[in-house]
Amino acid sequence: MNGKKSEIQMSRREFLGLSALGLGIALANARPAAATRAVAPDEVAILYDPVKCVGCKACQMACKRWNKLPNESTDPLGIYESPQGLSAITWNIIKLRRTETGWHFFNYQCMHCTDAACVEVCPTGALYHDPKGFVALDRDKCNGCGYCTQFCPYGVPHLQVENALTGRAKSAKCVFCQDRLWAGIGGPRCAEVCPVGALTWGKRGELLEKARARVAELQAKGMSARLYGETEAGGLHRLSILLDEPEAYGLPSVPKTPTFARAWQRIIQPLGNVAFGAALLGIFGVFLFVRRKIRMEEVK
Amino acid sequence: MTVQLKGRPEVITIQWIPKYTFMERLGHWLHTATFVPLAITGMILYFPFLQPLAQGEAGLFIRLVHRVAAVIFGLLPIVYYLVEPRRLILHLREFLLRKEDIGWLKAAPAYYLLGKHEAMPPQGRFNAGEKLNGLMMIVTWFVFGITGIPMWFGKGVIPPEIFRWLVVFHDLAMIVSVCMLMVHLYLAVAHPLMWAGLVSMRFGVTSAEYAAEHHAKWFYGPKRAMEMWEAKKREAAHH
Repeated sequence: MNGKKSEIQMSRREFLGLSALGLGIALANARPAAATRAVAPDEVAILYDPVKCVGCKACQMACKRWNKLPNESTDPLGIYESPQGLSAITWNIIKLRRTETGWHFFNYQCMHCTDAACVEVCPTGALYHDPKGFVALDRDKCNGCGYCTQFCPYGVPHLQVENALTGRAKSAKCVFCQDRLWAGIGGPRCAEVCPVGALTWGKRGELLEKARARVAELQAKGMSARLYGETEAGGLHRLSILLDEPEAYGLPSVPKTPTFARAWQRIIQPLGNVAFGAALLGIFGVFLFVRRKIRMEEVK
Repeated sequence: MTVQLKGRPEVITIQWIPKYTFMERLGHWLHTATFVPLAITGMILYFPFLQPLAQGEAGLFIRLVHRVAAVIFGLLPIVYYLVEPRRLILHLREFLLRKEDIGWLKAAPAYYLLGKHEAMPPQGRFNAGEKLNGLMMIVTWFVFGITGIPMWFGKGVIPPEIFRWLVVFHDLAMIVSVCMLMVHLYLAVAHPLMWAGLVSMRFGVTSAEYAAEHHAKWFYGPKRAMEMWEAKKREAAHH
């Protein structure tokens, strides 16, 4: 009888021990509850209207100048596009697009997603959402893993590689001129310098209204205008007016990588944690059990 | 060798027989010495609560450690089997799962939890559990390589659609192999019945008595071990 009682007490102690361990594991692995953000109308945004754009590249120049980005040597192809795309030192670019109706300009920069795959996969927290909504980058925290470059649905972040072999690198991308905004100097330099009002910036809610009116105006003129960025990837902080399918601009109609990134970070990895926890608990339980059942001195 | 336990009158005689070659042990410990840093540095990118260690200069350093360890980890089996090619065939043969391994797996819970070894069929130098662990290590070694090398050199070369899956599979291989390592570590270090395991991986020898009980097919040879096993079963049925 006594023996029975002590056995029950032992298992209760074990049970408490195991529960505490399980809880510890669960807490240690809890993700910061930054879960799904909702986009607010008073967040800041940039609106791009390609119909107004004259392709002067003032935005591109201003971006380089303010962010002290060096110039990029490109092949002398004799073409308008130079450099040929976004890179670690080119965060804003006007590209030329040829269609049946003629030549069109389009400005590319970070789309500043609300549901940002880069922020989701960044293991350092270097990529984060500024309280004003856009996606900022703390280069001091970045360790150059490059996941952001592979998960961004728009191919925006690029690695500034110091050494490809050791992996010494830092990510780089447009940060909405965060320093200007918070220092009260002004807004994103690209939008400020645009001489024709193709790039404008302001509160996202107001820009959305402006964009919808502009789309209606263009549609009335017989153009197949549409707004891109209102709902894509949870709502972009770079809104664009398109005159064609998003794919014609190299933009996905439905950005899929945020979902993929979330499945990886919030389903597969937590399941892995469950596996680790189960393995640890199982081993610990077996350890306690075996310690009582099998005596070392009986072992030959 | 004779051993007298502290405060006990009886003297135990242990007859040591060779089990692992020097090269096998060197391979095992180099594998350990590279896998553990790989797992730790990898987990720094995996666990959100370890994020401070992943940031900035610390992060660049852990990524460098991961790469240096990965090179040794990846080359180790290749170099080993280039030096000792005959061992490749021997090991593959030893690690192949056989019919009697099912019987071993069925009897294993009672053995490992309660110490009942009567139902354990005779095993070779590696038992079914060790085989499963070894096979899993072979599979994950390939997965780590196939996914890791493009993650290192393939950014901007391979399509991002593929890269994303590589990261996920690299993670999955880590989860599986770290769980296996935890079980392996417990059995090697803490389980009372497995006392000879760590000795043989350190010094290359095992007790003859231990080998006869745990690795009968290797100790007696497959034919004799099976005959003894059948005889034992007949006797048990008789009583």
